[in-house]
Amino acid sequence: MKAGIAGLGWVTPLGSELDAVFTALREGAVAETTSLRNPESGRELPTRPVPARLIEHLARNPRLRRSSNISYFAVAAAQAALADAGLAADSRTALVFAVSNGGVIYTRRFYEQVVRQGANAASPLLFPETVYNAPASHLAAVLGIDGAAYTLVGDHSIGLAALHFGAQLLALGECDRVLVVGCEELDWIVCQAFHDWRLDREPLSEGAGAVLLAREGPLTITTTTGVPFLRRADAEAALRAAIGGASAEVTIGSQSGQLGDAPGASALWQVIYAALALRRGDVRSALVPVPGFNQQAAAALIALD
Amino acid sequence: MTAQRVAVTAIGVVSPLGVGVAENLAGLRAGRDAVTAASAFDVSLCRAKTAGQVDAGWTFAGADRRWHRASHFTAAAMREVHAGDPGFAPELAVIGTTSGGMSFGEKYQRAQIAQQRPRQRAQWLANYMPQKAVLDALGACEWMAPMQIIANACASGSNAIGHAFQLVRAGLHRSVVCGGYDAISELVFVGFDSLQAATPEKVRPFDRNRTGLVLGEGAAMLALESLESARRRGAAILGEVTGYGIATDNHHLTQPHPSGVGPRMAMERALADARREAGGIDYINAHGTATPFNDATEGLAIAQLFGSRVAVSSTKSMMGHALGAAGAIEAVFSLLAIREGFIPPNINYAEADPAFALDIVANEARDARPRRVLSNSFGFGGTNASIVLEAA
Repeated sequence: MKAGIAGLGWVTPLGSELDAVFTALREGAVAETTSLRNPESGRELPTRPVPARLIEHLARNPRLRRSSNISYFAVAAAQAALADAGLAADSRTALVFAVSNGGVIYTRRFYEQVVRQGANAASPLLFPETVYNAPASHLAAVLGIDGAAYTLVGDHSIGLAALHFGAQLLALGECDRVLVVGCEELDWIVCQAFHDWRLDREPLSEGAGAVLLAREGPLTITTTTGVPFLRRADAEAALRAAIGGASAEVTIGSQSGQLGDAPGASALWQVIYAALALRRGDVRSALVPVPGFNQQAAAALIALD
Repeated sequence: MTAQRVAVTAIGVVSPLGVGVAENLAGLRAGRDAVTAASAFDVSLCRAKTAGQVDAGWTFAGADRRWHRASHFTAAAMREVHAGDPGFAPELAVIGTTSGGMSFGEKYQRAQIAQQRPRQRAQWLANYMPQKAVLDALGACEWMAPMQIIANACASGSNAIGHAFQLVRAGLHRSVVCGGYDAISELVFVGFDSLQAATPEKVRPFDRNRTGLVLGEGAAMLALESLESARRRGAAILGEVTGYGIATDNHHLTQPHPSGVGPRMAMERALADARREAGGIDYINAHGTATPFNDATEGLAIAQLFGSRVAVSSTKSMMGHALGAAGAIEAVFSLLAIREGFIPPNINYAEADPAFALDIVANEARDARPRRVLSNSFGFGGTNASIVLEAA
């Protein structure tokens, strides 16, 4: 599937300004690593969080009063992508949201109440924020999107899967623009889980990436359905199949060494970085390959139209 | 692009009413109440005490011992599709869920709180994520299709079918397996209980004295293929999907807009998509959770659009609300109504709600020959989905 890229926005551990973060990444900046404590075991877990002062700034929307960081990131990145495009969401704008772990802060807190205090003490204020589509719901409300809004879940490939899904919606003629947003938030239990699962080669991180797709644009993105694999040993072959015959001037690999690993957002960060490189005239085409960790591999090609 | 007609060539279902199409059909015809005392975890501190549960003793033959219960449901439903149409080969899987293998996440968190590091923790994590049940099910059918997993709360199953339908109709894919799954978990059970959306009584959709929902679980899958392609290879045509509508009402995270605007938009869009007038629909399989809010808004929207001319029932009255599986299970039930010539009942119904005049199929299945069915699914986040299914 092929679509135009109309706007870009992100919230990352290195900040949320498009050009400033791009420059920092290109110059090799590495987001600050801080530790998050597992309060049960006392273990310190390395993370690369979005800076607290930035989160405080993002959390001012009245609709988001009861929500957690993931919704702040989503709204900020989406609004930045729309501003970048010089557009507002309208009735022909669809939303496709990508998460891997989702709203883990409230999910962990809610179930902790159930375990420690009993089911009759669990807060009804927390539960609604535990559903995967809660951040997308907040975002749709903030932007006034009343049509198609989808939340997709999966592994690290989910950002590219969401872009493909968005390109499908455009091809179906159901909308004229699709806001694709990938998000993740940090919580100690996810850091501990990734450690126990031996998936913590890089510190986990958080944030959001947003790409506004349109029928046409100065940049195009070509997406494909992912290539599934059942065993992790087959992931490399799946990635080769996902890339297929695509070739590009550069390949934009994972930035987890600089930004940390935010499964729902990382692939979109790679796409945004690639698109910014094209916008600046650094390159004319870029390939973004993403091997997922337990589902599928995917790739996307970004090029000047 | 030329629009393709979209055939359903096989169905599979696991629900509290039974494992497989035959058991579910018998349960629907009999109006069987499959809601029982919740047994998977301690509910002594909850208001609600019951759930619609798949037989705890049942397992999917061929399951890996590490699988989550959700994988058993999903694999059984998908394998039934495979058995029903062995020539079907999906290019894509579009599957809805709300919570994947949540109870394994619960086990992991309980172990953390207890400061234990059991050996199974890696297996819990690997089988907790929503994609795992789909991978397991695809593997059980020896299908290696790429997948799109939609988590639009309780509308997920209908969204998955609707999106798959659109892809096949547009010719973007020739064949797609679609559906939904969910397995009851403590977190979700307590969550609905905390909102006082779950009832300590019988679940009574559209009844004046309804007091809330009962949770359910299960999975259902449908094989969608272009009608032309399905006919060419001689596949059985169980029905067609002809319309899909999606709407977001943006009112509140857990409550629908009281005007019913969300359900109404979804139904209107599905009808327009199917190129049908409201008068052309013979039966509505309602979302009908039995919460005061849902049934008031859905009932109002149905009454506004259809009047009282169309038969309405909520099959959740028999088996509870299977969340991400609900839309898919109810699509299968709708196809069974079309094929078998009856309308499933809305059991536990005693008194009409004067707020909306509907033709509720009360307590007993009705002999009828519905040819066109509208199936509704609505969810947290103001997400609303409707699909239209028709006789081939």
